[in-house]
Amino acid sequence: MAELLALQRRFAGALLDADAAGQPETWLCGDAQLIEQRLAIYRGNVLAATTKALGAAYQVIRQVVGATFFDGLAHAYQRQVPSASGDLAEHGAGFADFVAEFPHTASLPYLPDLARLEWAVHVAYGASDAPAWQPNALAQLAPARQSDIRFDWAAGTAVVDAGYPVAHVWRIHQAGFDGEFKVDWSVRESALVSRDGLLVVVSTLLAGEGCFVASSLAGATMGASAERALAADPGFDLGQLLGRLVASHAICGFSIDKEGTP
Amino acid sequence: MKTLSDMVVGIGLRQPHYREVFEHRPALGFLEVHSENFFLDGGASMHALERARAAYPISLHGVGLSLGSADDALAQRHLAKLKRLVDRIEPALVSEHLSWSGLGGQHFNDLLPLPHTHEVLALLVQRVDRVQNLLKRRILVENVSAYVQYRERDMSETALLDELARRSGCGILLDVNNLYVNAVNFGFDPIACLDELTPAAIGEMHLAGHTEVDSCLIDTHGARVSDAVWALYEAACRRLGPKPTLIEWDTDLPALEVLLGEAATAGAVAARTAEVCCG
Repeated sequence: MAELLALQRRFAGALLDADAAGQPETWLCGDAQLIEQRLAIYRGNVLAATTKALGAAYQVIRQVVGATFFDGLAHAYQRQVPSASGDLAEHGAGFADFVAEFPHTASLPYLPDLARLEWAVHVAYGASDAPAWQPNALAQLAPARQSDIRFDWAAGTAVVDAGYPVAHVWRIHQAGFDGEFKVDWSVRESALVSRDGLLVVVSTLLAGEGCFVASSLAGATMGASAERALAADPGFDLGQLLGRLVASHAICGFSIDKEGTP
Repeated sequence: MKTLSDMVVGIGLRQPHYREVFEHRPALGFLEVHSENFFLDGGASMHALERARAAYPISLHGVGLSLGSADDALAQRHLAKLKRLVDRIEPALVSEHLSWSGLGGQHFNDLLPLPHTHEVLALLVQRVDRVQNLLKRRILVENVSAYVQYRERDMSETALLDELARRSGCGILLDVNNLYVNAVNFGFDPIACLDELTPAAIGEMHLAGHTEVDSCLIDTHGARVSDAVWALYEAACRRLGPKPTLIEWDTDLPALEVLLGEAATAGAVAARTAEVCCG
């Protein structure tokens, strides 16, 4: 296997850097010029595959910055965080951090938040289907016990706390949006990403609401989460929020410890 | 698990065609997808695949397993995902490529060619054994189009595939377009390659279009099957028997009826050869 390993290392080196190809005419047929032409095909294929995958995960960003600039971002990202999987759905997890540091996107300060939102949408798209449940069971619980419940959340549910109105930016770029194509950049909002059946939904959360959902997603009881939410926003309306979360199937069940369990 | 009859033709199941396929249910022997597009826990894509599975046999065609990597860094995770998909979908066919895609934890997401040597053959037998033991089924291994050739070479690609099938019990997915593209790019006789293959080992054939760029044929999977490839397909059917055949079209997708037209042509060619085939 040693020979194959050496050969593949050389090939990999040639793919990553045209100048590092060494003397490929010693291990590939043809003259140096022909080989370089052919290796370029493979280099192109690699970039095309990862760029396409990144574009599929970050469709709104691609629209916002334009295809040409996005391709440049994708190429730079692939150089910095090369694909590490045959499953291209995994490529792009670090894109938010990348655009936060990349000098040429500094003039788009909302881009990292938008990237975080888009990745959460991408993850939610392929997340497990939520089980069906009976929300009546919640109402049937004795009021004294309700604060002890822990909610079950649909797989892929996430809160994206952003400094910019990225949920709104995301929504106005969706096919079929026919509202005003306009953003109020002074608004700061949290976004909730969740699955409603097969559909990924992005909705806006007020400050206390984001706090509640994040706390509950982390495993805290309803009571503890509501306390934290009220501390962040005295106007927090638990009933209103729960109504929306149950109706949209973001919440898909609950559990409660046995009486007397701490 | 149902096996496919030899005379069936299939097409790739692609997202722009979902609605039409589900609504009109064209008469097809099977649908093929790239396994890696369905390494998901749930959601709309999986739902579409399961809906397709309820109506058609499914062929899972992998592009990312990298059977021929000298190091094994990425295989275990990838295989686990593939196994989960195979267990969930119960496909009629599972296939991969005679290629490598990654090294040292980096994946190139392309099908890179392997040298056709005894060393590589021995490695592939091990790797195919591992996959088949894990999936508890036979897989097919496909010949690839290559744009470079290694100086080190012990045998032809088809001879290597045939020997791999003999030693590991895997099957062969003969991509007629890839064979043609290589024959033109490297100057060999593709008919002689057909004669190196054991008919019973062939589990599926692929047909696709190619493009010429700077006097090199590129396997683009973005065009109709060329006349020369139809002729080679007919020769393959005569020598190897009709086999389940896929019309493979991955880029610049045409209307569904174009794919169905290509599928019908493949069916007609196969039927024409069926009477005169090797007994």
